[in-house]
Amino acid sequence: MRDLLAGLAAGVCILALASGAQAQDLPGKFEGVTIDAKLIGGQQYEALYARIADWEKATGAKVNVLSKKNHFELDKEIKSDIASGSVNWCVGSNHSSFAPQYPGIYTDLSVLLPKSEIDAFVPANIKASTIDGKLVMLPRAQFDVSALYYQKSLYNDEAKKKAYKEKYGEDLVPPDTWEEVTRQAEFFTAPPDFYGTQFAGKEEAINGRFYEMLVAEGGEYLDKDGKPAFNSDAGVRALDWFVNLYKAKAVPAGTTNYLWDDLGQGFASGTIALNLDWPGWAGFFNDPKSSKVAGNVGVKVQPKGSSGKRTGWSGHHGFSVTENCANKEAAASLVWWLTNEDSQKLEASAGPLPTRTAVWEWDIEQAKGDAYKTEVLKAFQEAAQNAFPVPQTAEWIEISNAVYPELQAAILGDKTSKQALDTAAEKATQILQDAGKL
Amino acid sequence: MKNWKLSAPFLLLLPSFIVLAAVVIVPLLLSFYSSFTPFRLTKPESFFVFIGLRNYINILSDWNFWVAFGRTVLLLTIALNLEMLLGLGLALLVEKASRGQRILRTIMMFPMMFSPILVGFQFKFMFNDNIGLVNNALQALGITNNAIPWLIDGTLAFIAILTAEIWSSTSVFAILILAGLLAMPREPVEAARVDGCTPWQTFRYVTWPFLMPFAYIAMTIRSLDVARAYDIVKIMTDGGPAGRTELIWTLVARTGYSDARMGVANAMAYFSILLSILFTVYFFRKLAAARTQIGAEW
Amino acid sequence: MQMDANASARTKKRLLSIAHKVALFLAMLIICLPGIWIVLASLRPTVEIMAKPPVWIPQELSLNAYVSMFSGVGKGGIPVLDYFRNSLIISITSTVIAIIIGMAGGYAFARFRFKAKSGLFLGLMLTRTVPGIALSLPLFFVFARVGIIDTHFGLILAYVALNIPFTIWLIDGFFRQVPKDLAEAAQIDGCTRWQAFWQVEFPLAGPGIASAGIFAFLTSWNEFALASQLTRSINSKTLPVGLLDYTAEFTIDWRGMCALAVVMIIPALTLTFIVQKHLVGGLTSGAVKG
Repeated sequence: MRDLLAGLAAGVCILALASGAQAQDLPGKFEGVTIDAKLIGGQQYEALYARIADWEKATGAKVNVLSKKNHFELDKEIKSDIASGSVNWCVGSNHSSFAPQYPGIYTDLSVLLPKSEIDAFVPANIKASTIDGKLVMLPRAQFDVSALYYQKSLYNDEAKKKAYKEKYGEDLVPPDTWEEVTRQAEFFTAPPDFYGTQFAGKEEAINGRFYEMLVAEGGEYLDKDGKPAFNSDAGVRALDWFVNLYKAKAVPAGTTNYLWDDLGQGFASGTIALNLDWPGWAGFFNDPKSSKVAGNVGVKVQPKGSSGKRTGWSGHHGFSVTENCANKEAAASLVWWLTNEDSQKLEASAGPLPTRTAVWEWDIEQAKGDAYKTEVLKAFQEAAQNAFPVPQTAEWIEISNAVYPELQAAILGDKTSKQALDTAAEKATQILQDAGKL
Repeated sequence: MKNWKLSAPFLLLLPSFIVLAAVVIVPLLLSFYSSFTPFRLTKPESFFVFIGLRNYINILSDWNFWVAFGRTVLLLTIALNLEMLLGLGLALLVEKASRGQRILRTIMMFPMMFSPILVGFQFKFMFNDNIGLVNNALQALGITNNAIPWLIDGTLAFIAILTAEIWSSTSVFAILILAGLLAMPREPVEAARVDGCTPWQTFRYVTWPFLMPFAYIAMTIRSLDVARAYDIVKIMTDGGPAGRTELIWTLVARTGYSDARMGVANAMAYFSILLSILFTVYFFRKLAAARTQIGAEW
Repeated sequence: MQMDANASARTKKRLLSIAHKVALFLAMLIICLPGIWIVLASLRPTVEIMAKPPVWIPQELSLNAYVSMFSGVGKGGIPVLDYFRNSLIISITSTVIAIIIGMAGGYAFARFRFKAKSGLFLGLMLTRTVPGIALSLPLFFVFARVGIIDTHFGLILAYVALNIPFTIWLIDGFFRQVPKDLAEAAQIDGCTRWQAFWQVEFPLAGPGIASAGIFAFLTSWNEFALASQLTRSINSKTLPVGLLDYTAEFTIDWRGMCALAVVMIIPALTLTFIVQKHLVGGLTSGAVKG
């Protein structure tokens, strides 16, 4: 009996020591521990995973990568795991827009990691990673917010400058409001070879774009009681922005079928003047191997809506630890490792935006001497200050799927903006009611 | 001896039954059950709530579901018929060729080597209104000055999807009909020619009846396998824009995974299985009729 | 007069033959065009593929996409060799098994009379009517319970089931074409039923088995819906699932995807080229009634 107690006491001591040590100096020691992980796959995300081997060396633990898939496939897989009760792994890739959909499976990282480490992240990113008071993931250097890319040459063309001045009575400079974007888009358009702008036209993409425009127009998507409120006047104004551009044929006719890849390829083909797009494309657009507008790309903070607020729908990737995980300390250490300064520097050096304050500074320092990269980082740093995540409801994706066909119907002229938004709000209300949220 | 005769087919068929039971029947029963629940992927406990026919009543009273259903039937009917005609033509052309049979047959099957998701990406880029191959070609040839919104306009998008589907699946018909042509005995054709039949008559009354079972086999295989088109449509338009190209499969997939409402999705899937069964039974009977027509000792 | 008739018949014949060649060429062109486009896209820089105005004649060809594909994970590459190995193992094994099971089943349907035959046959076919998308989740449930997610075995099992119905169907059709008296004659000559099958009926049903094999192989090689649900890592991920490695949340590397597609198509093309010979073999090894 005494032996048992002594053993127990020793065990407790070791545990206490281990966790104490862990809180002090990451990554810690986890000899003999194996961490099962599900990671997002794809070229852009893989470079980071080479650092897992270093973590294994430092901690003595092993990482077993159970699956590597792209974003949407991974989402499907995690949902299937939840459904079949097989969430028996430890670390998973996560995304701020998808995180609210996985209620309860991820643990609160703020109790597993020292506060100083969490404070080193950009506060807004930590806020977007916190759901119901739980820090469900640590953001990696894959932060996404859109800024405005444009073709510089258009603004240096004397004939265009003159014509624009005559027509609208103002100088032709890169736009700072969405109203100016509309004007300039219509001005630049010369179909079928050249269009003023374009927008993502389907799925969560158009709903996200509509959402940020709504915010910029001073509206809100869900009101403080969680009820859909996007069929307001601000909502109609926001949707009309898309509708009017489509009507004026200032966007490619196919735009309602475009997703991010089509948009990126479109701007790179040199047929689009102004393009609100993600930081991931910055390198692509300025690479003569992939883009016809290389050397001619300007980047500017995203424009404002009529309320004076800028658009800024944002999201970021991160890593989470499951509640079911047997060794949460080790898992948290791995998550920390993949998002620490060295990891973020590695990712950010390839283009994506960091989520640690110190790495932002380092990044801008690194870009010195590279005028384009400096311009990109400056623009996105400003863009990030105006960023906001999607409403934190588990039903966000489901609502998106119900709303976007209505948005498309309005853009294509099948319905008026008001009709479309009313129907969409009705559907969204139903979804929230079915989920027991209203 | 009689006993042996009875059990032989049973033994021969046993392996297929075992595999099919494990992979199809059991999961099928599971999903059949879940179509009577409000099952949501993210809420496993909802799997045990029984709500009777509510899912079915909901979808059957949903106009959008019926539109998607009708569009799927239309797409299938047009696609299968065109594929059969084109496949027949292709098989006859290839069979007639005196040289390069191997190469020709391999090329004929070329589209079958494309994974459907690849076909989807490929045709999406080709039909892109701004930088797509099709519009570029039309504009370069001076046929049009407009950027034709292939994937936007309901009818055009339907045609675009149909093109992708036909391109990727005509080979199935061609290769089966060709196999039929190759397996065909020479004598009847020779006899017909000796009797002074025109080539058309020979084809119509000798060759075609012989080929019919193969055509129907191909037809049935294809109608069983049409959900393959899902991968293509998913990537080309995903049912959009504004539901203009919504097919039953895109609807099921979005409801099931993206919305996580698997219960409703399974109800839709079950209803769509009815459609496949209808097509299959129809072709199966045609096949039986064609077989009787050629008589023989079948 | 006689000469004229002959000459005009000859002209007509030549015209027909030219028409046939032209039609054949056009048909092949239409079939090949998208394929050629993919091969070209894998060799050209993206700026040229997506160019407007279009660049019709490639200006610059390079193997960069292939080089980077094989250059390892994290350096722009993907674990293509693992995918390739998985695809090969899974497709070949499942095809062989499906053919064996299908031959047994097809033979049973073609040569025996038994109760509820056509009902059974139809039932077998109908298992195939379940769309993959409806099957994938419940199948995942079952496989997760048994513990065969992300294994070769799981996917092979699924593909065998996927392929059995039409393998049976095709082989049944071809066995029916082989006259029954041939085998019976062989049996009278002293062969066992087993010998009669292998020596007489099997060779004659050759084209059918070859085409069933091609179908089964290509179905497994290209299948995506089930594979994306039942595979997870390099243990079992197949090439079609690997295609998605070239898509990120916002970007797509079309050139890389095309390069992988070419890698995927080449073995399928080679195999088809080899196996289709047996289609001819079945024909030339004797007329059916020979």
